Amino acid sequence: MLEVEALSTRVGNFRLDNVHLSLDEGECHAVLGPSGSGKSTLLNAILGVVTVTAGQIRLGGDEITHWPMEHRRLGYVPQNLGLFPHLSVRDNLSYSARARKLAREDFVPLLGRLVEITGIGTLLDRRIGTLSGGERQRVALVRALAANPRLVLLDEPFTALNETLRRELWWLVKELQRERGLSALLITHDLIEAYFLADKITVLIDGRQEQSGDKRTIYRHPANLDVAHFLGIKNLFPATVVDASGESIEADCPCLGHRFHLQGHAPAGTAVRLGIRPEDVMLRDEGHPPRPDDCILSGTIRLIDLGANVAMYFHSPQLPSVIEIVASGRVANCFGIANDQTLVTIALPSSAMFWIPQQD
Amino acid sequence: MINLKHTSIGTAFAVLIIYGGLIVSLAWFLDGTTLRETLFSERTLFSVSLSMTAATVATILALLLAIPAAYALSRFTFFGKEAVETVLEFPIIVSPAALGAIILIFFNNPLGEWLQTHVIYFVFTFAGIVLAQFVTILGLATRMLKTAFDEVPVELETVARTLGGSPRHVFFTVTLPMARNGLIAALILTWAKALGEFGATLMVAGSMAMRTETLPIAIFMRLSSADIEGTVALIIVLVAIGLTALYTARHLLRRRVNA
Repeated sequence: MLEVEALSTRVGNFRLDNVHLSLDEGECHAVLGPSGSGKSTLLNAILGVVTVTAGQIRLGGDEITHWPMEHRRLGYVPQNLGLFPHLSVRDNLSYSARARKLAREDFVPLLGRLVEITGIGTLLDRRIGTLSGGERQRVALVRALAANPRLVLLDEPFTALNETLRRELWWLVKELQRERGLSALLITHDLIEAYFLADKITVLIDGRQEQSGDKRTIYRHPANLDVAHFLGIKNLFPATVVDASGESIEADCPCLGHRFHLQGHAPAGTAVRLGIRPEDVMLRDEGHPPRPDDCILSGTIRLIDLGANVAMYFHSPQLPSVIEIVASGRVANCFGIANDQTLVTIALPSSAMFWIPQQD
Repeated sequence: MINLKHTSIGTAFAVLIIYGGLIVSLAWFLDGTTLRETLFSERTLFSVSLSMTAATVATILALLLAIPAAYALSRFTFFGKEAVETVLEFPIIVSPAALGAIILIFFNNPLGEWLQTHVIYFVFTFAGIVLAQFVTILGLATRMLKTAFDEVPVELETVARTLGGSPRHVFFTVTLPMARNGLIAALILTWAKALGEFGATLMVAGSMAMRTETLPIAIFMRLSSADIEGTVALIIVLVAIGLTALYTARHLLRRRVNA
């Protein structure tokens, strides 16, 4: 459906370099990155707002790199939604049909179905200024889809909404994906939104594509320190590869006092960082014998109640920094963790550890 | 201790008193009979009609040029853009009399003479009045319209383009309607400015009674002949037309905002 190959562009002093991404029919691909990472520049290049200096953009078999915007057949929902305040909801929704001079029968059935799915039938004669935030989002989505685009570009359209409305609209996008086979490229800095809606993820940082692929892989195996930091992984420990055989390595981590057997390939002597996600750190029940490959540590814990979950910060004199643990409140209760001084034993399972190259 | 709110409101009223006081002071020389006679005299009616016609033509011509120019300045980056933006202030920094003199001198060079001979004769004619007003208001009209276009988010145009609108379709269905308030304000204010234009008009079209005698020129001519009551009557006409235009502009803009 969409293939971006070695795309580079420049806006003022900002450069976006060598971006590759692909999106299949009916799929949602999220482009993640902090502010100023180049997400919007990439989107503008795909839209045709900025000129591509190198590379290609192909959509449904057509090479659209230098096509005028109006011929690309892209739906676009920007962060501010871009609704036309001088037109009614009805006129906003039929703008595309008027611009393309479509016959009534060519757009009314699709528009009617979209209005039905999104429940905006009662809003058609309203002015944009009288709509609530959630209603505006729905109208903007329907307007983009009513043009029957090959791909919809969503540029952080849910950012301004409260949590309940955001989740409601995420489900609506999911429903549209299921019902209409919607293909979407989502620009966001919100990890939860990206993981909820997308099948694939591309991470951009400082105009560089740091990682792209299946969301599970990116979650489990960030490609480098920048991606790990962006994904919010704080549990990172310096280590050295001491043995490499085939597709597995043995990494020695002096600060954890443990050697881990991990998947991947790196020559012996390579400096790496070992990482583990906070929800993969296990609180150990003394009654159960440890697995041979687990790293066992004892220390004290500080607990912060997050509502449904608790964040725990494990401290041990041997560690250079605390280890972050996230678990359900029930788990914390089971282990009798209630105050800052509780003594606990934790396990870092080798199966949950990942490694990334040292970048210092 | 100075109360910022009360002091600033007091200053706002001072502005009103300065202008309002000057207008009210005209009453000292106001004579009912002279006012009536002056207002309904053939010469005054000619001046009013000439001023309004010339200002309307000059405003239409200025907007025809200012709308695309302002759009280009608002939306595109191009070689010489800064020079164009700087020259918009030209009529403000050069006095209207100097501007009129420049136009007059232009018509004495070979190109100007050719234009006058083969296209249209400007000096001491109605066309000269329109040209003087046009040159005076063009910069202001472009500046005001650029501000109006700047206030229309580019994002709306991008969305309209993705919905299938060509650049021209988007300009007429999104940009122009969204800049409507600024367009109305520019139309009325430039018209009012053209109506009150004096220096450049005097230089290019002269001060010929019943020929190039616009309202400001008529005021000048009456004052030159020490006809204070007649001058006051004409000033009242000019002020009444100007204030009506400004009130209409404000009313229309308020209605648009509330619509």
